[in-house]
Amino acid sequence: MNFQSSTQAVDSVFIFIVAISVALLTGIVATMVYFVVRYSRERNPDPENIEGNLLLEIVWVVIPLIIVLAMFFYGWRGFRFMRTAPANALLVKAYASMWRWDFEYDNGRKTDRLIVPSGRPVKLVITSRDVLHSLFIPAFRVKEDAVPGMLTHLWFLPDGTGDYDLFCSEYCGTGHSEMITKVQVMTAEDFRKWRLEAPHEKTGEDVDGVPALLRKKGCLACHSIDGTRKIGPTFKGLFMSRVIVVTGGKEHEVTANEQYLRRSVMEPEADIVKGFPPVMPREKDNLTEEELSSIVGFIKGLRE
Amino acid sequence: MPEQPDFYTTTGNKSGLWSWIFSTDHKRIGVLYLFSLLVFFSIGAAFGLLMRLELIAPGKTIVEAATYNAFFTLHGVIMIFLFIIPGIPVSLGNFFLPLQIGAGDLAFPRINLLSWWLYMAGGLMALMSLFLGSGPPDTGWTFYAPYSIRTGTNVTMAVSAAFVLGFSSILTGLNFVTTIHRMRAPGMTWFRMPLFVWSLYATAWVQILATPILGITLLLVVTERLFGVGFFDPAKGGDPILYQHLFWIYSHPAVYIMVLPAMGVITEIIPVFSRRTIFGYKAIAFSSMAIASVGYFVWGHHMFTSGMSDTSRAVFSFLTFIVAIPSGVKVFNWVASLYKGSIRVDAPLLFSLSFIFLFSLGGLTGLIMGSLATNVHIHGTHFIVAHFHYVMFGGAGFAFIAGLHYWFPKMTGRMYSERRAKTGWAFLFTGFQLLYFPLFILGWQGMPRRYYDYLPDFHPLNAASTVGSWILAAGLIIIFFNLLRSIRNGGQAGPNPWGGTTLEWRTSSPPPAENFEVAPVVTEGPYAYHHKKDRIL
Amino acid sequence: MSRGQDTAGSRIGMWLFLFTEILLFGGLFMLYSVFRSKYAVEFHRAAEDLSRTAGTINTLVLLTSSLSMALAVAAIRRGKKNGSLIFQGLTILLGCVFLVIKYMEWSAKIGQGIYPDSPALLGLSHGEILFYGLYFVMTGLHGLHVVIGLWALIFMLASTLRGTISGARFVRLENSGLYWHFVDTVWVYLFPLFYLIT
Ligand code: HEA
Ligand code: HEA
Ligand code: CUA
Ligand SMILES: [Cu+2]
Repeated sequence: MNFQSSTQAVDSVFIFIVAISVALLTGIVATMVYFVVRYSRERNPDPENIEGNLLLEIVWVVIPLIIVLAMFFYGWRGFRFMRTAPANALLVKAYASMWRWDFEYDNGRKTDRLIVPSGRPVKLVITSRDVLHSLFIPAFRVKEDAVPGMLTHLWFLPDGTGDYDLFCSEYCGTGHSEMITKVQVMTAEDFRKWRLEAPHEKTGEDVDGVPALLRKKGCLACHSIDGTRKIGPTFKGLFMSRVIVVTGGKEHEVTANEQYLRRSVMEPEADIVKGFPPVMPREKDNLTEEELSSIVGFIKGLRE
Repeated sequence: MPEQPDFYTTTGNKSGLWSWIFSTDHKRIGVLYLFSLLVFFSIGAAFGLLMRLELIAPGKTIVEAATYNAFFTLHGVIMIFLFIIPGIPVSLGNFFLPLQIGAGDLAFPRINLLSWWLYMAGGLMALMSLFLGSGPPDTGWTFYAPYSIRTGTNVTMAVSAAFVLGFSSILTGLNFVTTIHRMRAPGMTWFRMPLFVWSLYATAWVQILATPILGITLLLVVTERLFGVGFFDPAKGGDPILYQHLFWIYSHPAVYIMVLPAMGVITEIIPVFSRRTIFGYKAIAFSSMAIASVGYFVWGHHMFTSGMSDTSRAVFSFLTFIVAIPSGVKVFNWVASLYKGSIRVDAPLLFSLSFIFLFSLGGLTGLIMGSLATNVHIHGTHFIVAHFHYVMFGGAGFAFIAGLHYWFPKMTGRMYSERRAKTGWAFLFTGFQLLYFPLFILGWQGMPRRYYDYLPDFHPLNAASTVGSWILAAGLIIIFFNLLRSIRNGGQAGPNPWGGTTLEWRTSSPPPAENFEVAPVVTEGPYAYHHKKDRIL
Repeated sequence: MSRGQDTAGSRIGMWLFLFTEILLFGGLFMLYSVFRSKYAVEFHRAAEDLSRTAGTINTLVLLTSSLSMALAVAAIRRGKKNGSLIFQGLTILLGCVFLVIKYMEWSAKIGQGIYPDSPALLGLSHGEILFYGLYFVMTGLHGLHVVIGLWALIFMLASTLRGTISGARFVRLENSGLYWHFVDTVWVYLFPLFYLIT
């Protein structure tokens, strides 16, 4: 039982249990069907009353017991392997919040996708800023919950290069299924370069004219910029439009001016736009004045 | 048999609807429960179909994310707390427990009626949570803190509904335990009780011992929401994982509340249709008790990736594997009970054999999840969804349908159409595989559960699953149509159409209000088919 | 088939019910032990601010009420309707005294600004927040049970007056008594856990 990676550990345990289960299931169903056919009322009009057999009863306790003990043991060994990260692992902190992932590297660099070098074990230390989430990378067969007020961990060994999906797999509210990002595996060489370039740059690059800030802060999980309706209102044409909001249970109409936009970002619970769930997190303590201005500025630019 | 008016015509001093909703006759309450269950099942099923429809393609198909989340929450709450947990005990159990032990009624008939009223109150509250307040609850049936405490939706109402339903369940449990201890007919020793009664006995203990923990947990969610006490809030020193422990201490044993009575139904049907006694009576009786008791100590297997300590994970995994043994014992004894029988595959047996297959498949995939290494990968994915539909619907659900067909002639005095029942089965069985098997693969490929939207890679299997849901729905509609129609139009069934040996077949169909004309005296075991008396052991 | 009164059956039913009640509180005791082991010092500090005098008096009140309840059942067994009525009345009275004292204790704390989620409480340490959370939830749930018990006893009093409870049929009174003893027992555990931590 020498495991090389979490992928291989999980797969081998899986195959072991599935193989035994398929054999058992086939055996049970085949016997059942055989009995039903062989002892049908036409073939066997006179049944025999067999009340039991102690020996058989013991056999089908003991043999399954041995089987399940083997399954337990194998699974537990794989699990132990998956819980003990090698000493040379690259340490990355993962922060979950509704509904985005943030990763922080030892040199302070922050990203919204997980960028790792190929061939070196990666250890993630995970926590949450609000409710429960779970960090799940199917390709590496790893998962661990992100729990507020607590640090959890997992490790895996990326090999080959390319992009892999990273999901949130603990239900966390309206945006749960949008809380997806990528694991980007680079060659060790590329990774070294990436890590050195602009180590304190916080926001990454702008894509298609959308400031990286919006993507990074997770705004785009809920707000579209092309008019489609997502969890929250779209940004397109929002500035200076008339909006019906609910404040303290009462509906009224406001104009989405600069002041309204600023307040909606910083204290979203104050006025809720009618027809949308009150789920936006307060950004009051998360945004600098500079960042806020740039977001509001961008929204203004999307006026029709 | 000299004609005595059956319990439908004996209305006492009440009439019409009143003679039902205020009746303390266990048979009337059983039928009342049966119809209430079917109504709630249909509502829950409608949510299931809508969910599948939404998932037929990635992106938005019919509803918004928030609505989808409300769908699976209500689907889960209704199916679990209003359909499958009360399910067999309150309907078939209520009707047949007293008949099978030769009693006139349950020990506390009025408490029995009270528990129906509580059930209805809880059910209406659950439905009201859809329309009242600030939107339907969106937490999933597990109500995990701290999300359930933060979300602005109508969680308090849904949680209170589950609390009331728990109370109803406790009352049924203590009624059954007392009845089995005190009301058995003369000569009905413990080991002459039908195995359905044994399974209800084990279930009733789980209901009594586990439900209060759910009660207090749900109350705490309400106090958290209303007063902000902070037990599950890390900002106040509380611990969200503690919530999960409390929740699963109830909700794992609850899965055995769902499946033990189902196993009991299967155990009744097999001897009757193979015309021989059950194989390993005592092994089956004791395995019910074993499942009920070991089932208390495995709750942690729902929390293998929750952040709980690694040692606890190992212990819970170990115990999870142990609890599979008594289930295996039952499966093997059922198959052995077919050996040298004289078998006729009528609808009840057909559903029972399907149960053995589907439950074994579901249970064996439970082992994959019980193993630590594999659980890490599949936890929180559609693999889990597939597992529990196999054991809950393929297991408990199929057994329920089997039991309905088996006891239908006793309850109504009529016979259903065998041909239609089998057509319904064919649709149901095919649809079932197409609906749920793809979810195993999707889960293994990594599609998380409770996902409103998914990546395009997952599209084909999701579409297949949705098509399966329609086939399955067609099957169910045929089955229920057949039964409902036969209540009026079916042929006369007579007191014992299957040649059963347990006590309920010794009275007329439907039974008279007092159950038996002459109080039965029991002199032998429940499945006494001794045409030949060669006994081994 | 006729069904007579099955006294033993009623007793089994009542015991099972009490068992579920014990488990209901059991969940809270579990929470208590987890948090207390995590925050031993803070629990100790917080407990010193509760009024031991009020707690002790209430313990005595409830224990006395249990005694008078037992006497009420004993009296009806011997057929002494009036004696039983007096003891039942006394039990109800003592139950009310308990509630009044509890009410005063709670108001005092709330007056100091100490109640769940209050600004004053949130200013304290985590352990103290949880201690008071448990204090209010557990004594609150217990108080609710006292109220339910009192209603049951008032109902019994009326039944005794009407004669539906008598020397021949008293299992309902006996069961209400059991319930009352259960409520007392829970208090006997709550008292040291909240007032006497050392
Ligand atoms: C009727 C309900 C029911 C039943 C009977 C079971 C039975 C079992 N369940 Fe399941 N389970 C659920 C309902 C049920 N479950 C639900 C609803 C959930 C999800 C809740 C949620 O998160 O929403 C769940 C989730 C769940 C998990 C958590 C997964 C996760 O979230 O990570 C696990 C993990 O161990 C598990 C395991 C098992 C096991 C080992 C059994 C065993 O008892 C099965 C035993 C049966 C067999 C093994 C088959 C028959 C035996 C043989 C053929 C003999 C030979 C076999 C041997 C080798 C022993 N279940
Ligand atoms: C007994 C329990 C039970 C049953 C029977 C079902 C039945 C169905 N369920 Fe399930 N399901 C759960 C219990 C159950 N479910 C639970 C607990 C969850 C977890 C929720 C959570 O995550 O919190 C879940 C989650 C769940 C999901 C996962 C959601 C997600 O994670 O994103 C899906 C998706 O496909 C699904 C689909 C279905 C479907 C299509 C059916 C179908 O089989 C339904 C088909 C039935 C019919 C179509 C009925 C037709 C018949 C009639 C209408 C009868 C007519 C009546 C008369 C004439 C009287 N369910
Ligand atoms: Cu975050 Cu789901
Ligand atoms: Cu479980």
